[in-house]
Amino acid sequence: MIRARDLKRHFKVHKRPPGLLSALRSVVRRSYDVVKAVDGVSFTIERGERVGFLGPNGAGKTTTLKVLSGLLHPTSGEVAVEDCAPFRRQAAFLRKITLVMGQKSQLIWDLPPGETYAMNRAVFDVPRAQYDQTLRELTELLELGPLLEKPTRQLSLGERMKCELAAALLHQPTTLFLDEPTIGLDVAMQVAIRDFVRSYNQRHEATVLLTSHYMDDVVALCPRIIVIDRGTLIHDGDLRQLIKTMDPDKRVSFTLPQPIGDAELARLGALLARDGQRITVRVPEREVAAAIGHLLGALKATDLAIEDPPLEDILRVMFGKHRAEPA
Amino acid sequence: MRAEPWRTLRALPTLFRVGVAETLAYRAEFIVWILTTTQPLIMLGLWTSVAREAPFAGYSSNRFVAYFLASLIVRQLTGNWVAWQMGEEIRSGAMAMRLLRPLHPFFVFAAGQAAALPFRSIIALPVAFVLLASSGASVLTTDPMQLVLLVPSVLFAWLIMFALMFAIGALAFFLTRTMALANLYYALFSLFSGYMLPLDLLPPWIRTIAAWLPFRFMISVPIEILTRSHDRAELAAMLGGQAAWTVGAMAIALVVWRAGIRRFEAVGG
Amino acid sequence: MTRYLRLFAVQARTSISAAMAYRANFFIEGAITLIWTAVTLLPLVVVFGQRQTVAGWDEPQALIVVGYFLGVRAVLEGTISPSLSDLVMRIRDGSFDYILLKPADAQAMVSTASYAPWRIFDLLGALALIGYAFVQRGAPPAPADAALGAVLFGCGVLAAYALWIVCAAASFWVVRMDNLMYLLTAVFDVGRWPIDVFRGAWRVVFTVVIPVAVMTTFPAEALLGRIDLTHTLGTIGGALALLVISRLVWRTAIRNYTSASS
Repeated sequence: MIRARDLKRHFKVHKRPPGLLSALRSVVRRSYDVVKAVDGVSFTIERGERVGFLGPNGAGKTTTLKVLSGLLHPTSGEVAVEDCAPFRRQAAFLRKITLVMGQKSQLIWDLPPGETYAMNRAVFDVPRAQYDQTLRELTELLELGPLLEKPTRQLSLGERMKCELAAALLHQPTTLFLDEPTIGLDVAMQVAIRDFVRSYNQRHEATVLLTSHYMDDVVALCPRIIVIDRGTLIHDGDLRQLIKTMDPDKRVSFTLPQPIGDAELARLGALLARDGQRITVRVPEREVAAAIGHLLGALKATDLAIEDPPLEDILRVMFGKHRAEPA
Repeated sequence: MRAEPWRTLRALPTLFRVGVAETLAYRAEFIVWILTTTQPLIMLGLWTSVAREAPFAGYSSNRFVAYFLASLIVRQLTGNWVAWQMGEEIRSGAMAMRLLRPLHPFFVFAAGQAAALPFRSIIALPVAFVLLASSGASVLTTDPMQLVLLVPSVLFAWLIMFALMFAIGALAFFLTRTMALANLYYALFSLFSGYMLPLDLLPPWIRTIAAWLPFRFMISVPIEILTRSHDRAELAAMLGGQAAWTVGAMAIALVVWRAGIRRFEAVGG
Repeated sequence: MTRYLRLFAVQARTSISAAMAYRANFFIEGAITLIWTAVTLLPLVVVFGQRQTVAGWDEPQALIVVGYFLGVRAVLEGTISPSLSDLVMRIRDGSFDYILLKPADAQAMVSTASYAPWRIFDLLGALALIGYAFVQRGAPPAPADAALGAVLFGCGVLAAYALWIVCAAASFWVVRMDNLMYLLTAVFDVGRWPIDVFRGAWRVVFTVVIPVAVMTTFPAEALLGRIDLTHTLGTIGGALALLVISRLVWRTAIRNYTSASS
């Protein structure tokens, strides 16, 4: 279980304007700006939930994750993870959690991942039998087989990420913090990792808190999302519900065997995209059934697809609204 | 192609200014770099102790004082950390960015290191000069021409030092761990340049080896010009040697750099 | 406790296999350390070429100080320095966070992270030098002196370790701090001389501020049977005090890191 109440994390950053005079002045006197990375965030996440943590760059997602995992002290507010205060970094707490940072690696560069695993086993004091079994499971699920013998530096990005995940889960934590775990990976690998995380969550009843810039990750994996912008929480709730509330229209895409006039197209819905014969329109939900009937029947459309609006668009609207609000 | 050296020249003032800003940005690191070149003071303590009861191989305590203060001054004026800087940039990938720019990194780095000079020296030099003038006065040369020749001599010393350190920095294109080689270089440098102890104190066969290495021309030669009288022929030989090694060091730097770049491009950075 | 021993064993194994991964490097580095040692000895040879004693130390005695210097340096460059350079790099690329996420003491993990196994040559050289010095003296050390010499060698190593940790901890505050390591190495270089050679301010600095004397001269005095009680207690007490101070500095650095980084 993860609980944050009015969590704040501020940083003092040294101001360094360009120019020779400022440089000289900075030698004797430095001026500081206070950056409010996290400014009063509250939420509660129950055991076993999968939550997506979204926000633009610099919103405070990574900072929040670092506070939750104990890497940073909160400036003020309460935070508890698995009934422990993370910043105390007690051994019992550290054994229950794991943090995977997509852009930083814990694997030893010149040696095979197996060596890092051996080290983690020693550090986390995992009994031999349990370790062997866990490793077997992870190897199977993530298809690690041949990778374990190759030095880390010889692995591709995707292979490395899989090995990183395995390294992070050897001690069978029950709370997972994933900070952009699929960054830079190809689509197939992203899907593999999503499936893996979901399966781990279900088998171990592990809580998952995920940040990602790939909306597909969040949509596929997280029933609930928390949205942060500029250090404050602007939404916390069910993903589908959010989409329906913010933008109840569906996106209907189809291919027409013959061209269609603009007026007739407008009767179906607002035009969003047209690529030769492939057209996407926006249709209010209650009119979808009628539109489909018309498309399939009269217009003989093929390759019909009905989708929710992309999460990016929804978030963009959200952030736009947030920024426009008086501070 | 012909416009290149002119472009470089015009860019120098800006490079210099940015170099100053960079130097000032890291105050603590800067102080540490200054402190690392105070080894002569430690050597001074050592050798004056050795020479306390009686002069050692012709060096009285006073003469050791003058020697090591001069050594400190020359070191402060010629030291640079470009090898370390280049190693860092190659490892971090920042060097790749530099290579995309039209100015040759040799000049950019040189300007940066030169920019640090006034600030490195601002504390140590005045003190050293005062001490040198007062205590070592009897030992210093009074020949005005020798004093004038100090300027080109120190300039040559700076160039040789920079070019060789640049070459060592470029080795980071080939080797993942250049620390060992840098340490070896420093060991040889401190011995054969006169930094650790005056070259006349070394056994003759080592002095012969030293004569063929560039190190003497980085520290010892300027000190020799400052603290002893020489006739015209000797001065010409010393400065000629410095000039020759300046060319030689730059050639080495160029060769290593080119080879490094070829490797860099082949491997993809 | 056994958990830590197991951890150290694994770290040693992985680090040494990483070092051995570049096999040619091993022998090149070995050759380099031999050359480095020769350069270390040269000024000593020069001085004793002209003088019988310097500040109350004759050549064999001074060689023993150099022997201790090489021995402490072997441990320093063989394990402490590589590990702490590793640390500085981890702080810069951010992977140090992973160390904080492990349920083991960060200082312990960091101090045993990396090894340079070819430094064993340094250690052998040190022993050979000390052996040679005793041959020159004509008699081996008394067992009690040898025992105390070994104990104080340990203290010297611990004192050096403490200093280096303080140094490495500084890189939490100041980003580009590995040149501080160079500074420390340069200062430590003074340890090849018996401390009595220095007078006045330098002597105070090297006995109390950066106690190089503790690391090389005093243990050498013990082995030679010429150490007094003050120096013995000073070495042991000094090493312990430095360890405590370094631990405090380390903890402050971690507290600072987790409150001020981003």
